[in-house]
Amino acid sequence: MESILLTNCKVYDGKELLDGEKHILIEDGKIAKIAAEKPSVSENLKIYNLKGLIVCPGFIDIHAHLRDPGQEWREDILSGARAAARGGYTTIVAMPNTDPPVDNPFLVRYVIEKGRSSGGARVLPAGTVSKNREGCVMAEMGKMVEEGAVFFTDDGSPVKNSSLLQKALLYSSHLDVRIMEHPEDNELSKGGQVNYGWCSSISGLKGNPPSSEVVDIKKCVALAKETGGAIHFTHVSTKEGIEEIKRAKSEGLPITCDVTPHHLTLDETMVVKSGFDATYKVNPPLRNKEDVEALWQAIADGVVDAIATDHAPYHMDEKDLPFQEAAFGIASLECAIAAVLNEWSSRGKICPLERLLSLWTSNPAGLLPRQWSDLGVIKEGAPADLTVLDLDKNKQVKVEEWASKARLTPWEDASLKGWPVMTFLEGKVLFCDTDRRC
Amino acid sequence: MEWKHKNLIDLDCWEKEEILHLIDQAGNMEDLLNRPIKKVPALRGKLIVNLFFEPSTRTRVSFELAEKMLSADVVNWSASGSSTAKGETLRDTAWTLESMGADAIVVRHGAVGAASYLQRKLKHAAVFNAGDGAHAHPTQALLDIYTASKHYSSLEGLRIAIVGDIVHSRVARSNMIGFRTMGCDVVVSGPKTLMPPELDYYGVRYFKDPREAVKGANIVYLLRIQRERQEQGLFPSLDEYFKLFGADEELISLAEKDALIMHPGPINRRVEIDSLVADGPQSVILEQVRSGVAVRMALLYLCLGGAR
Ligand SMILES: [Zn+2]
Repeated sequence: MESILLTNCKVYDGKELLDGEKHILIEDGKIAKIAAEKPSVSENLKIYNLKGLIVCPGFIDIHAHLRDPGQEWREDILSGARAAARGGYTTIVAMPNTDPPVDNPFLVRYVIEKGRSSGGARVLPAGTVSKNREGCVMAEMGKMVEEGAVFFTDDGSPVKNSSLLQKALLYSSHLDVRIMEHPEDNELSKGGQVNYGWCSSISGLKGNPPSSEVVDIKKCVALAKETGGAIHFTHVSTKEGIEEIKRAKSEGLPITCDVTPHHLTLDETMVVKSGFDATYKVNPPLRNKEDVEALWQAIADGVVDAIATDHAPYHMDEKDLPFQEAAFGIASLECAIAAVLNEWSSRGKICPLERLLSLWTSNPAGLLPRQWSDLGVIKEGAPADLTVLDLDKNKQVKVEEWASKARLTPWEDASLKGWPVMTFLEGKVLFCDTDRRC
Repeated sequence: MEWKHKNLIDLDCWEKEEILHLIDQAGNMEDLLNRPIKKVPALRGKLIVNLFFEPSTRTRVSFELAEKMLSADVVNWSASGSSTAKGETLRDTAWTLESMGADAIVVRHGAVGAASYLQRKLKHAAVFNAGDGAHAHPTQALLDIYTASKHYSSLEGLRIAIVGDIVHSRVARSNMIGFRTMGCDVVVSGPKTLMPPELDYYGVRYFKDPREAVKGANIVYLLRIQRERQEQGLFPSLDEYFKLFGADEELISLAEKDALIMHPGPINRRVEIDSLVADGPQSVILEQVRSGVAVRMALLYLCLGGAR
């Protein structure tokens, strides 16, 4: 395998931005050396001069819908994994709400194998909590862990039965795999299309209230407290939801959470201002400006553990419809990092850059089973999974260039500042949008 | 005045002067309707398609009459019995109609955003919203404003009380915006389960007691209560609804002496309105229906270039 030398780069190692410029030597898919002085160059070496760019541990997205098996007209593991690599990710977690759902060890294996041959990011599967994602009977969680499942979730919906969730928390306690909850009370959110409040009032669309998220979070926190099981709340969207999580964390409960790029950068007013453009239709719905503010504040306060895309691609024919008839979901893998970096700058860099970077690297890596903990760091001997960022790069989002099968996104034509420009998976270049090759 | 609108999706961005100009024109149109020979050639050679995905005899017939009075060519395209029943999308239907040469499409659709969606998808044809889900029904609001204007020299400062199912009502949304634009003091009442959670955008005030809302009103506007709302558990029974919020003579007596009674129709007697009120001397419910044709004529005339 060809060796690679990255020269003159800034390095974020998963903890901090290292002082000065570094040179990183990659050999046999691993980080062989991180040095302040440029190592003497052998002949068989590819060199990239990354002056002015930041080299980070490969970014991790713990929530992506790859629609495979069963809904390949929307996305498949190949297109999704390649889209992820182009978007700056080296590892993504595939959600199990496929058709059939990933609720057994064979499908866990299928996702891993197909991901391996994709030529894109590493694909780690999540398995369902319940068989067929129905919320009745526990899925074979132990067997799925043996095959490589890294989360359990009935995402797309909450775990429908509280008693089952309680048992799953107890049963999975020895498995070192977290349960990821999609926090929603289906009775309260029933029929909801947009945020309850301003947006539902003006549009005439049924509102999905913040209470739907909060009620489920409260319930799950109580179960976590009682069972000692760890729960990860995904795509938290409301101020009140964040407050509950903050409280639970301060009590020392094993609670973690992630927020999405769209809930950090878009709000309910865009639904109305766009004339009900269905690209803004998503569940949980885009909330109000105060909620967006609260999510950023939660990042600054260290309440948020990860930024996860909830990349939810659909075919044009399911999305390019009048708002009320269109499917719920935002496709974002190939612009999510840029959207967040852009918003972070335009909000006056509300938190240190290191904090933001940790939400794509060391923090989500810490949510994965222990065998993957090296994914979130740059250190000698670790696999060379790397994401290179250019914080000054301006680029327009052009969805027609995407590897993803999605052809609609709310950021279409948006000019964003701050982009991933290279990704390396185990020392192999997956994506390169820069001419720094020497 | 220079007329800048080509479409009508909702009234959110219409100015007071524009609405005044339109109701002026509607007055002229109504004069035309009273002449022995009613037709004028203003839209001769224009093709207008009435694309209705929800049954609505009133609105469709009103548009159709307006179109025919202006000598437009008219096609009625209803969802049942057309290709839409076979799964053709709204987009394909609209493109098909545009390819056939439609100059304007009047659309009624159950989904919020259908009219603005069509406007985005069409290259040339104008779009007139005849109701999109619970979002907007702007021509209803225009005809209501026109009807009220016939009884008051100016609507500025008048109080209008809208009572009933606001949250599910496109009529209420368009009327709250329309009457506020005209300078009215708009108040609403009804059970809290039928109110939108946020009314600031509309600049209207909520009274939980309908008597408080109606007190001193110049116009009392009742909304149709659909039976399914009771089935959805939003109030316990139609009978109780009438008892608490129905417009009977006692409630109406709290309004100004000659207050107008309005309703978009069709009415549910003894649910939202008592017959003595619906058929009483203050009721202008049938006048509203008559206004519809004149107002829609004025709208089509102004937007489709008949004025130029
Ligand atoms: Zn979800």
